[in-house]
Amino acid sequence: MKYIFNPKSIALIGATDRAGSVGKGLAINLLEGKKKRALFFVNPNRKNVLNKKTYPQLKDIKQGIDLAVIAVPAKIVLQIVKECCEKKVKAIIIISSGFAEIGHKGAVIQKQIQGLLERENISLIGPNCLGILRPSAGLNVSFAPFTPKAGRITLISQSGALLDSIIDASFNKSYGFSAIISYGNEAGLKLTDFLKWADNDSKTKVISIYIEGLKNGREFFEIAKKIKKPIVVLKGGKTKTSQKAVSSHTGALAGEAEIYSTAFKQAGIFEVESIEQFLDVSKALAWQPRCKNGIGIVSNGGGVAILAADYCDKYNIVLPDLKFKMPKKWSQNNPLDIIGDADSEDYALAINSLLKQENIYGLIVLQTVQIMTDSLKNAKIIIEAKKKFKNKPIITTFLGEKNTRKAVDLLEKNKIPNYSDPLEAVEAIRALIK
Amino acid sequence: MLLSFEETQIILKKYKIPYAKSGVIKSEKGLLEFAKDVGYPLALKISNALHKTDVGGVILDIENKKELIESYKKISKISKEIIVQEMIKGEKIIMGAKTDSVFGPIVLFGLGGIYVEILKDISFRLAPITRVEAKEMISEIKGYDILKGARGKQGVKIDELETMLLSLSDLIVKEDIKEIDLNPVIANSKQTIAVDAKILA
Repeated sequence: MKYIFNPKSIALIGATDRAGSVGKGLAINLLEGKKKRALFFVNPNRKNVLNKKTYPQLKDIKQGIDLAVIAVPAKIVLQIVKECCEKKVKAIIIISSGFAEIGHKGAVIQKQIQGLLERENISLIGPNCLGILRPSAGLNVSFAPFTPKAGRITLISQSGALLDSIIDASFNKSYGFSAIISYGNEAGLKLTDFLKWADNDSKTKVISIYIEGLKNGREFFEIAKKIKKPIVVLKGGKTKTSQKAVSSHTGALAGEAEIYSTAFKQAGIFEVESIEQFLDVSKALAWQPRCKNGIGIVSNGGGVAILAADYCDKYNIVLPDLKFKMPKKWSQNNPLDIIGDADSEDYALAINSLLKQENIYGLIVLQTVQIMTDSLKNAKIIIEAKKKFKNKPIITTFLGEKNTRKAVDLLEKNKIPNYSDPLEAVEAIRALIK
Repeated sequence: MLLSFEETQIILKKYKIPYAKSGVIKSEKGLLEFAKDVGYPLALKISNALHKTDVGGVILDIENKKELIESYKKISKISKEIIVQEMIKGEKIIMGAKTDSVFGPIVLFGLGGIYVEILKDISFRLAPITRVEAKEMISEIKGYDILKGARGKQGVKIDELETMLLSLSDLIVKEDIKEIDLNPVIANSKQTIAVDAKILA
């Protein structure tokens, strides 16, 4: 895997200047990391691409090549793969489409490529994929719009288009990625290989997967069960397909969506329902520790506190009674309403008292903007508290935008996940509860 | 392909899944002998059909010899292959298993009757399952309190339900079948017993 996630030399076959092309997108992204590794462009039809000299063929490159990236039309891919074998590259990513996903003819060629590379012991990703990214290694082997921030989320997707969108959406967000992998047709390395890699990768803290279908669900289930790091999954394709006429009750009831959800739950995987939830939950798991079911909520607004309590009830999240002595005007129970005129000292007292309580394992801090609310100071108090209580996660919902922007930026810079709605905060804490 | 009553019984016995006392009826004489042996109430069913009730192929709560003969005449008009069974009262439960094309062996549990068809109050697990997982499957059901005993009614034997789920889990892992329905399994405070079973091989 090191030849894929941190290759010392890369050859891009199919590099081009042509506007709007995959080859150009790849070339631009690969050039970003040119200081970190040797980079070669191969194109018999152009003398240079993006002001970089090209080689007519792979074998014209004197140096050894760790990773070959193939982005040429499907009909010449097999030929290029053979040249890669002669060159003795260590790994290949085939970006090109036109294989098993289009039908039988494509599947036959894909099988040939697969067999050839297995015999040569060369790792393969794809075909038909967006590529892979490893921001911390300055590696972007993809035609994604740009290289996102480095971070702790390893994102693995069956859909390249969805990855593009997620990468773009992460632009001004505070979370980042340890790796982004589009696995395509899985002719070589499979989803389960990447799960194992991510579990052993020191930079990965959470593994987030988007899938539409699994080729071997049982194998995925057995492997996922053993993965130690948290896994989040978003599954596309839940609409019921029509059942065959001859079927028992069991056959009719055990639909695809139900069984996938059952398998995820049984394997300890956290399933989400939307792209937004996918990113919200991944952010929480990337930044905060897991905890037991016993959560404290503090708020300076009764309405928001009640909403949060309702959501906790829906998800069977336990809100233990509060055992410490507190000002009479506070609500005395959990969620703790420290009321609208709460200043930063009130927040500090409430937050630290809740976290000190033994049967409170995690905290949600809700803040509404009142005249006396000092968002920035409250953020600093939360950051200090988090340092003191290392094993207890803290999630915040600082409602508003104009008066909370700076505070929220500070919180997130310090890896305290903030959400704009108490529902999202509760869903985040739910994912953290083991 | 739906297995015959006899083939189904062989597999159920192999995995120790309790089934109501039944007999294949070839004549009114055989029917009356069964009734003398087993007693009343009884049920008559046509054998080998996926949706017997829909075609009037099930007659329940037969209390005496007169009703038995009348019912036999009626049901013979629908099919010549008939099963007679002891009639057992209790909560209707559905248990099933299938070999899924993606995930392999799966088991299912739910409250039977309208609860499963309309409310879909069911739980699933990938097999093989442990007793702990069987316990979870049962307690996850929204209607779990009905099984525990509600409104003055006594609860059922939860541990026997678990055992049946474990047997079913064993069956679907070891046998090469597509789907099996135990619908309904009747559970009451004294016993847990399947009264209908379909196997698609």
